[in-house]
Amino acid sequence: MKQLWRAQAAAVIRLELKKTLFARRGLWIYFLAFAPVALFLAHSLVEIHLHGVRREMARRMSRPLTEADFAAVHEGMTRDEVVAVLGRPAASRMQVRTTVKGPGQVELTPLESLQYSDGRTELIVWLRNGTVAGTGTTSGISLGQDSHVFAGVFQFFFLRLAVFFGCLGIFMNLFRGEMLDKSMHFYLLAPIRREVLLAGKYLAGLLAATVIFASSTALQIAAMLVQFDSNAIDQYLYKNHGFAEIASYLGITVLACVGYGSVFLAAGLLFRNPIIPAAFVLIWEAANPILPSLLKKVSVIYYLKSLCPVQIPIDPAMPPLIALLVSNAQPISAYVAVIGLFVLSAAVLATSMKLVHTLEINYTTE
Amino acid sequence: MSDAIVFEDVSKFYGDVLGVNRVNLSLPPGITSLVGPNGSGKTTLMNLMTGLIRPSRGSIRILGMTCDEPEKFFRLVGYCTQFDSFPKGLTGYEFLYSYLLLFGYDRTTCDELAWKAIANVGLTEAAHRKAAGYSKGMRQRIRLAQALVHDPRILILDEPLNGLDPLVRAETIALFRSFAKRGCHVILSSHVLHEVDIISDQVVLMSGGYVVAEGKIQDVRDEIQDQPMQILIRCDRPSELAARLFQQDHVVEARLHKDRLGLVVKTSSPSRFYLLMNKIALDGIGIESVAPVDDDVNSVYGYLIGTEEAAR
Amino acid sequence: MAVYKRSYRSYSGPMTPAWSRFLVLYRASRRALFRSRGSTAFFVLCFFFPLLCVLGVYANSNLAAISFLGERASQALRLDINGTFFLVYLTVQSTLSFILTAFIGPGLISPDLANGALTLYLSRPMSRAEYVLGKCSVLFIILSEITWVPGLVIFAVQASLAGWHWASHNMWIATGIFLGSLIWILVLSLLAMALSAWVKWRIAAGAFLLAVFFMGGGFAQAINSVLRTKQGYLLDISNLVSVIWRDLLRAQNDASVPAGEAWVAVLAFVGLCLLLLVRKLKANEVVR
Repeated sequence: MKQLWRAQAAAVIRLELKKTLFARRGLWIYFLAFAPVALFLAHSLVEIHLHGVRREMARRMSRPLTEADFAAVHEGMTRDEVVAVLGRPAASRMQVRTTVKGPGQVELTPLESLQYSDGRTELIVWLRNGTVAGTGTTSGISLGQDSHVFAGVFQFFFLRLAVFFGCLGIFMNLFRGEMLDKSMHFYLLAPIRREVLLAGKYLAGLLAATVIFASSTALQIAAMLVQFDSNAIDQYLYKNHGFAEIASYLGITVLACVGYGSVFLAAGLLFRNPIIPAAFVLIWEAANPILPSLLKKVSVIYYLKSLCPVQIPIDPAMPPLIALLVSNAQPISAYVAVIGLFVLSAAVLATSMKLVHTLEINYTTE
Repeated sequence: MSDAIVFEDVSKFYGDVLGVNRVNLSLPPGITSLVGPNGSGKTTLMNLMTGLIRPSRGSIRILGMTCDEPEKFFRLVGYCTQFDSFPKGLTGYEFLYSYLLLFGYDRTTCDELAWKAIANVGLTEAAHRKAAGYSKGMRQRIRLAQALVHDPRILILDEPLNGLDPLVRAETIALFRSFAKRGCHVILSSHVLHEVDIISDQVVLMSGGYVVAEGKIQDVRDEIQDQPMQILIRCDRPSELAARLFQQDHVVEARLHKDRLGLVVKTSSPSRFYLLMNKIALDGIGIESVAPVDDDVNSVYGYLIGTEEAAR
Repeated sequence: MAVYKRSYRSYSGPMTPAWSRFLVLYRASRRALFRSRGSTAFFVLCFFFPLLCVLGVYANSNLAAISFLGERASQALRLDINGTFFLVYLTVQSTLSFILTAFIGPGLISPDLANGALTLYLSRPMSRAEYVLGKCSVLFIILSEITWVPGLVIFAVQASLAGWHWASHNMWIATGIFLGSLIWILVLSLLAMALSAWVKWRIAAGAFLLAVFFMGGGFAQAINSVLRTKQGYLLDISNLVSVIWRDLLRAQNDASVPAGEAWVAVLAFVGLCLLLLVRKLKANEVVR
């Protein structure tokens, strides 16, 4: 019998995978998953371009500069003194500021900016009336900074919104979608236990969601890293636990699919209208930090948040609607989080098994 | 193992709406037609049989089994539904092939069975086209193929002849007949009473969610006592025969057939009428034939359901 | 043909005037909405906060009426009835109107397209513009009933209690409530209708509506973080409308986007929704 169940589950997975991964109506899920990849890629391309510009400036300098040279420039120095310290600038721009002092009285102030670069950092020296009025440096973004940004985007956008809505689309479609398409009877008239059908559909959904979102996570990381040189990447991967972080992000993505998948599969069986459960789960997940300790555990984000390798404080300038979604949960140990998530998913799937057993075809009321 | 399909006090309610109520049936092998107006509960009864919906009360056993044992149950049952939709993106062949995979068959068997069923319904050339793009008749045929593909013992067919052209209709009816001859059950619903009359071994007449009558059509007709039976007598002297018949209290009406070569008689007691006919024949009136004219599904439908519908 | 000649008579009874024919759609949709007990209950719930605001405004002007609560409680209940007060009002009511739109909006056009009813509508003396107007009026009227109408009632109550001087000096608040609500209703109505027209499943359209607001906000934050910019806020439609409200009600701006840019972005968004809507409905128009 178990062999039959395996064969049947494999048949269901084969069918459902094809429908989920290659359906035109599922294109928006790809957009959702891969939009952050495009974002990180765009950022990296811009940084690569800026890095090239800085290197080109450094090449044009009369001598190689260091950060100590930049620090030697201070307010009040004359243009000649600056050139004496740093050499001829890579680029300079002059303009004259006109200030009206009174009727017929106009004051002209010559302004100049000098640009220097050591290849990584760009120094701009602002001169007013030939003396230094201020300096500013812009450096390339470090891998540490970007990995911190990645952590924020992963936790607050990718995990809580993209994976959430993506799983909503994939897993709701497994049962509710077939009811809406009026094709659910195809399965219910086959000699397959409904429990096996549910398991097959869940595994198919999980596989599809994992392929889409885990590959997105991997590509986001790759897109983020592409701007850095191999030394920086090696440093991050081998010395700053980069591999462990990447494995954590991939693992969390898979776990998110496991958790949200089970919740939305059950919701698809239970509700005719997914807006209600989607809105409810969204609010429930958001309200997690203020829930009593027992209820906290009945939430996917509670476990996922604890597994994230980098903790991100909430930006106070964040709009209220988004701030509502990104409130932080109390962290728990990784071991408890993984077990807890599996227990939660198993409990939800067990409930789904009960629901699917009494599932009836009722297309007319959809 | 029982060889009947048994409904025991089955009721189904959709909220406040009645689907079927207190259905008690035992359907033997052969072709059984479910007949009734729209909304009478035919599809509900078929969906209940196949477990697509669950009864609110009562139980259904098919050859002693329930749909709670799907691995055995659906190997015996094939259901051609009226739901006109298919899983997204599948061709006619893939539709059958995927369905067979769910039975646990190996790929070669699935392939062979799928092609056999496709050939049976004459869709070989269109097999690799998307099922959703088929014409109405083709969609009906591929659904029939799905019901037949695993060689079930019980065929449940909801309006199976809808959308089929006359030639395919005749072939399909022949297919049902050969199926029934093998001792299998064919349960079908149809609005075309003429076809029901030709193919059915027994009928179940439904109205408003209730089973109004069931059994062989002649038996059902005999049970309808409040409607005098109509009998056509072909004879050489219809006027003389009419005069003799009017002397009988059980003869309600006798009128000359429109070709003036026979008499249509309405009698409240067919048994007494047939005895009388023997006597008349011996008395010298040349009688060619005596045949009831209202023991077909059409008439029975009119007597039992037509009046109920009119009373609403 | 003979049957046609003998029995067909075109309708010769009274007709709804052409100018108000679009309201037929509104009346039918409203009836359908309030047939659901859940929707009716939620609609009633939407008046709870405005009622609370009216009571607050009254209590604020009649401190004697709440003196029995004690000095500290009376002080705590003291409200500044200004732009910020009405900004809070708009924020609460707009959230409720968003939820109501998620209920009503997706079912406005998608069933007509899915069941071929649009062709039937357009084969009657009803143009595409009237159809859109009729469907739009459903959301417009219902959302008005829970946003600017009670808002102006609160303003009127405050004006009646504080006097003409207050009213004349704060007329910009009334304008802000009206215009702020109007722009929000316009955004919600057109987005809901565009989604309803493009997404076949009614419930999927509802989910998309939810996603546009939350995903838009989230993606805006992601853009800002990754690209170290503030331009991402231009994708966050709820934040843009909030900036417009702050501008109209003279409340402190969170400086995410200048008000002018917010206006342009919102109007561009409205235009896009309208374009999507018209494109989808065009294919079904019956040429008469």
